[in-house]
Amino acid sequence: MTASRLLRIVRLRLRTLLHPRDADVEIDREFAFHLEQLAQEKEAEGLSREAAWRAARREFGNAAALTDRSRDARGLTWLEDLRHDAVYGWRMLRRTPGFAAVATLSLAVGIGANAAVAGAIAAVAARPLPFLHADRLVAIRAYQADHPSQSQAASMAEYLAWQQRSRTLDAFGASRSGPRVIRTTADAPADRVQGQAFTPSLFATLGIRPAMGALFAETTNPYSKDALVVIISDRLWQGHFGGAGDAIGRTMTVDGARRVIAGVLPPGFRYQDDNVELWIPLIPGRDSTPPIPAARTLAVTARLKPGVTLAQAQADLDEVSAALAAETPELAGWRVRLVPLRDTMYGWTRPRLLTLAFAVATVLLLTCANIAALLLARGASRQRELAMRVALGASTGRLVRQLLTESLLIGLLAGIAGLLVARAGLTMLTAALGPPPGLPRLGAIPLDGWIAGGAILLGIGSSIAFGWLPARAIARIDAGSALGAAATLARVAPRAPRWRGMLVASQVAAAEVLLVGAILLGVSFVRLSGRELNFEPRGLLTFSYGLRAAEFARATGVVDGEREFEISPIASQTIARVYERLRALPGAHLVGGISYPPVNSIILPTTTVRPAGAASAAPLTRTAAYFLVTPRLFAAMQTPLISGREFADADTGPAPWGAVVNETLARLCWPGEDPVGKLVALGDGRLRQVIGLVPDIPTRLNWADPQPVIYTSFLQQPAQYRGRMVPMFGEMTFVLRHSGDAAGLLAAARQAVAGVTPDRALVEVDAVDARLRARLPESRNYVIAVSAVALAAAGLAMIGLYGVIAHTVTARAGEIAIRKALGAGRRDLVALVSRPVALLILPGLALGAAAALALSPLIAAQLWGTTPRDPAIFAAAAIALAAAALLACAAPLSRALAVDPARRLRCE
Amino acid sequence: MPKPADLLQGTLDLLILKTVAREPLHGWAIAKRIQALSGEELSVGQGSLYPALHRLEHQGWITAQWKESERGRAAKVYSLTRDGRQQLERELDTWKRLSSAVGLLLKRA
Repeated sequence: MTASRLLRIVRLRLRTLLHPRDADVEIDREFAFHLEQLAQEKEAEGLSREAAWRAARREFGNAAALTDRSRDARGLTWLEDLRHDAVYGWRMLRRTPGFAAVATLSLAVGIGANAAVAGAIAAVAARPLPFLHADRLVAIRAYQADHPSQSQAASMAEYLAWQQRSRTLDAFGASRSGPRVIRTTADAPADRVQGQAFTPSLFATLGIRPAMGALFAETTNPYSKDALVVIISDRLWQGHFGGAGDAIGRTMTVDGARRVIAGVLPPGFRYQDDNVELWIPLIPGRDSTPPIPAARTLAVTARLKPGVTLAQAQADLDEVSAALAAETPELAGWRVRLVPLRDTMYGWTRPRLLTLAFAVATVLLLTCANIAALLLARGASRQRELAMRVALGASTGRLVRQLLTESLLIGLLAGIAGLLVARAGLTMLTAALGPPPGLPRLGAIPLDGWIAGGAILLGIGSSIAFGWLPARAIARIDAGSALGAAATLARVAPRAPRWRGMLVASQVAAAEVLLVGAILLGVSFVRLSGRELNFEPRGLLTFSYGLRAAEFARATGVVDGEREFEISPIASQTIARVYERLRALPGAHLVGGISYPPVNSIILPTTTVRPAGAASAAPLTRTAAYFLVTPRLFAAMQTPLISGREFADADTGPAPWGAVVNETLARLCWPGEDPVGKLVALGDGRLRQVIGLVPDIPTRLNWADPQPVIYTSFLQQPAQYRGRMVPMFGEMTFVLRHSGDAAGLLAAARQAVAGVTPDRALVEVDAVDARLRARLPESRNYVIAVSAVALAAAGLAMIGLYGVIAHTVTARAGEIAIRKALGAGRRDLVALVSRPVALLILPGLALGAAAALALSPLIAAQLWGTTPRDPAIFAAAAIALAAAALLACAAPLSRALAVDPARRLRCE
Repeated sequence: MPKPADLLQGTLDLLILKTVAREPLHGWAIAKRIQALSGEELSVGQGSLYPALHRLEHQGWITAQWKESERGRAAKVYSLTRDGRQQLERELDTWKRLSSAVGLLLKRA
């Protein structure tokens, strides 16, 4: 194509586009000239002037149609048409503001919800973690072969062995999270913050650079200058040091030890845990080879060598762990699992986000179906207008385009309005998706260009989805009959196309699927939150009491990066004195103490438990939650003992050491046997005999699986302790069973405590109740979100159903009138109207039940205490929908019954 | 007189290009010229003439200008562009190949 021709074409097209009226005027002038010539010719042939013009016009034919064809020839008509259609469509929408508002708003909600959920999924799945070579980072988890679903942390020995022996991983790091007590200046009050110990290699593995200062230097000496440093978060730097540039090099104390501030991390750094304020070096120490079983406390992250797949690395580590298990009997039965780091951090969001995505997508489809029905109904009232256009020469394709453009307008408006919904939805989503304990929350997700573009695309897509079929159905119009007199008088509603009924049946089915899912989630939520506590929280006064670790613990060294302490008997003696005073209070019937609140405690120490003796073939080491308790705790809590006894006053330090286990631990260690009398070795290296078995008190209310728990007496503890849970020996949450006067008892308890340690206050009154109240708000939000979506779906399906029934009644008003005139009773009329309804609902419900059954495996993992195929729940959903359908029928049905045959037939 | 033959699809463009190649003409004159030059055998109705003219114009083969006609009326006069002249040669070529092929077939069949 030559440049001159291109220029000519562009100029012409621009002109038709920018000044379409000019082009039309020009065509009119050209035709007028032609007509004149034609008339002159006829006149020259001898006709009169008038006759000549008449003949010329007749010969020239339909000028309007010719103008149209000529415009088509110009090639750009579709754009012009679009403009015309858009202007015309806008006018039509403004003429029916109710329809436009309902359609746009309902669509906007659907689009916004979908865009928000899709945006969240993309944010979790697609956005890279802010680490170097993030796609090659994997977490290495240990698990026991007989409990593959319970991933556990690694021990130092395992970490070192993996690092030395693996051939597919080229960088390793380990971390350990936990609360730390800090003091930023000598006279500042102690503060408790979340901290992480990092091996120096972990920062390098993650590719993190400090915002200020330096990161850890490699060292193997836990007492070197390089090891006694701390790196602080941006938040801590701002909050405690005012963002001072000279904070680097200052000292602060962490868990009582002085450390030099080496660096500040950039804001927003987040690895595994949220709200971590400081990092200290984790140095494999003194004797880094066994004693195994060492505590399993390390979260290990490694990097795949370039080109190595996850499966190859897994095979490599399988070999390593098999060899380890063969060498060290304590590691028998332990396997390892490699998980992409992203999954360990955000994998928990996936099932919930996918469930929500499915639900909101269904709602959007239901909304589209309803708008399609609305369009169809609107098309019926626009018959005359459209017939007029057909009569004036519009083709069917042209009408379809016109109607689709109107749909497109609705879709685009809804897409734009959906942006607002999406923004609100993203905020609600992050609230509705609370992480399980110990995992980072889903940070705020911004509304970015992708989500915005997605919303607009969804708008366009759904406008085609709901506009196409109605446009086709409406445009298939018979101009003659639509414009005829009969149509105007009788206002015959056009027959609804067959797909209308199928649409409503599938709407009912989709609503049923969502309803079943929501009920299942709701039932498991209720069962989970209402699960057996195995103690009686009512009539219980609880408060925490504690000594500072510095008052009773003296650091004696570091082993494997964990500090070793000498525990002074002052701690247990002080607690014992407080306990005795509380027992003497007249208002307290029974008094007990437990190191931390038994339910939902933020701090939950654990210990390893190894059954000793020849009872079972291969004694396996288990990890259990670990509580120190006073005598008579279970009596005070009204927890029934299943067998054996609980600690009594006689169980003091010199007496034989005992332990109480919960049912889950007993089942794990001695399946089918009574644990009482068995010997166990705990993480502190001491043997204890099991003296009692208690039912499971849920340590975490929103954890479906009960955790193994072991209780020991606070008086039977070794003088040495290694680990970071040292405050445990100075903490006690007291539970006092009273007979009503809680306030009086509390005042008396305060006095009793002050009598022993005047400077120590009760830390937290109602400690147990507060944790019971704080049960699963996040799960609740999620269940509420899913239920709301399901209810919306049910509502939409009912609106669709109502539309069909109302239409049936209108369309058959004549027939109803005739039947009535011929003596049909109410029952006949009800049957007449409800037969088509039943024909829609029953297949819909059957289809929905089948679909819910087919989809049940997808939701099974999110359920607790119920099965995804619970027939009662399926029945409940179906009955609820059927009842709602009856309600939807009521109004049209009463309208049908009220038809006055005389007036109606006169009308015909 | 038998009705003038309907034009073979696609030949109308060729006829228009050829007609305006000699001198710029308005639509009416183009129709008349085609009729006259074909010995009244071919007739182009305005229903196909104007869409074809506008299409050719928008393809850049011909260009239009408003000019005074012989009787003082403004008429839209079409003339061939340089690109149009090349297009005309291509179409002529195609036409010759087509007609000789058809002729050959009619002779041999």
